[in-house]
Amino acid sequence: MPKNPTELAEELIQLPPSAISLTIRDETYFDAIRGVVDIFAGKKDLTVIYISAAIPSQSIIDVLSILEVDMSRIYFVDCISPIMASAAKRHANVHMVESPTMLENIMLKVEYLMKKNKDRGNVILLDSINMLAIHNSPKILSEFVHILNNNMRSKNAYIVIFSIESFSSDEIANMMGFVCDLEISMDKEGEKI
Amino acid sequence: MAEKSKKDPTLIFRERCETGIEGLDNILNGGIPRGNTILFTGSCGTGKTTLSLEFLVHGAIAGENSLFISVTEASDKLMKNVIPYDFFDENLIKKGTLVFVDMPVIYERLGLTEMELSLEDVDTIVKAISDLVDELSVKRLVLDSVTSVCYRLKTEEKIREFILAIGKALSDRGCTSMLISEISPTAERYSLYGVEEAIADGIVLMGNLERRGDLLRTLQVVKMRGTNHSRAKYVLDLTPAGILLVPLLKGGSGGGTT
Repeated sequence: MPKNPTELAEELIQLPPSAISLTIRDETYFDAIRGVVDIFAGKKDLTVIYISAAIPSQSIIDVLSILEVDMSRIYFVDCISPIMASAAKRHANVHMVESPTMLENIMLKVEYLMKKNKDRGNVILLDSINMLAIHNSPKILSEFVHILNNNMRSKNAYIVIFSIESFSSDEIANMMGFVCDLEISMDKEGEKI
Repeated sequence: MAEKSKKDPTLIFRERCETGIEGLDNILNGGIPRGNTILFTGSCGTGKTTLSLEFLVHGAIAGENSLFISVTEASDKLMKNVIPYDFFDENLIKKGTLVFVDMPVIYERLGLTEMELSLEDVDTIVKAISDLVDELSVKRLVLDSVTSVCYRLKTEEKIREFILAIGKALSDRGCTSMLISEISPTAERYSLYGVEEAIADGIVLMGNLERRGDLLRTLQVVKMRGTNHSRAKYVLDLTPAGILLVPLLKGGSGGGTT
């Protein structure tokens, strides 16, 4: 059970390209992001495709910039900023999807970014399954994750799906167990989940 | 297997014309059977022209001479639509591998000034297009739109004659063609006059699907002679890397309309 970004990255590095369900807590949220997009992707030289369904991409960019993470190989598929209907700052690496209910368009943006960056391997980070569950029925969400995972497997890409413990339900946990290859829980340093 | 192929003509392999649109080629089991005349039909804003242009650009890149006959829009304006493609090379036009021709120019050169065209005019137009295909050794052709040509033919008899004759002329020349057809969003058939769909070798329906307030662009291969194909509905996106397709998710499709 990884307790910090480095331990998480080390655990991921041992794995072949696969679909991973990563259970996190509110207090381990940014550690988990850092472990995946900075340490793991950096060591494996992967392009990161970050699907932000929880908070706007700009907020993630601000945090990663403070942490001095190399942003040049991180791309965002942002489906939260457009529904806020406010003038968001445009960033070259951010691709907007009108709404978190347009799940097919999320897949299409991921597909496009992978096509554009085919010289390097990819890790797709879905943040988070719980936030997508607010906007979508369990049936269509299961179908989406199933197709996305299989598509990524066929392209030899990693996919890491955040599941936030405090927002999870039995239905989501069952779905993740069913469609993912592996489940990892991230603990906080010095604590046990 | 050989014995089975004799009994089932659909299993006999026909040479494919790869559209270059990965998702569509997968749906069609490798591409459009070469020489087929396909009706690409849909309402406005569904991506028909963009898809047909990409089909031609990929053909030209592969060294197949490709011809776009524009009936409604000036080709100068259309050319601007291919330039944003990452894979587009201006030399394709300079070298003459990708050619744009305006149909009004053909009408004018043939002296077809009457608004309603006759059966003889149909023969004249088909011959003019066939000559152009021969002269340029065209292997891929797009007519955008066949609806606008049919508008000047008026009767079912002349439309039938035109579609049959143009389809045969192009197929005899090994030319794979897309006829663009415009229909209203609520249409219950695949073409405005109902004749085009019965004669074409294939029908690809492009639409807008509304689902809980979201509007998704969709594509569905309804019919394609000479190949097995998926008949499922796909969602598409028009990107600088070309058209991308993913399956339409069915979990929430209740109540959607095309």
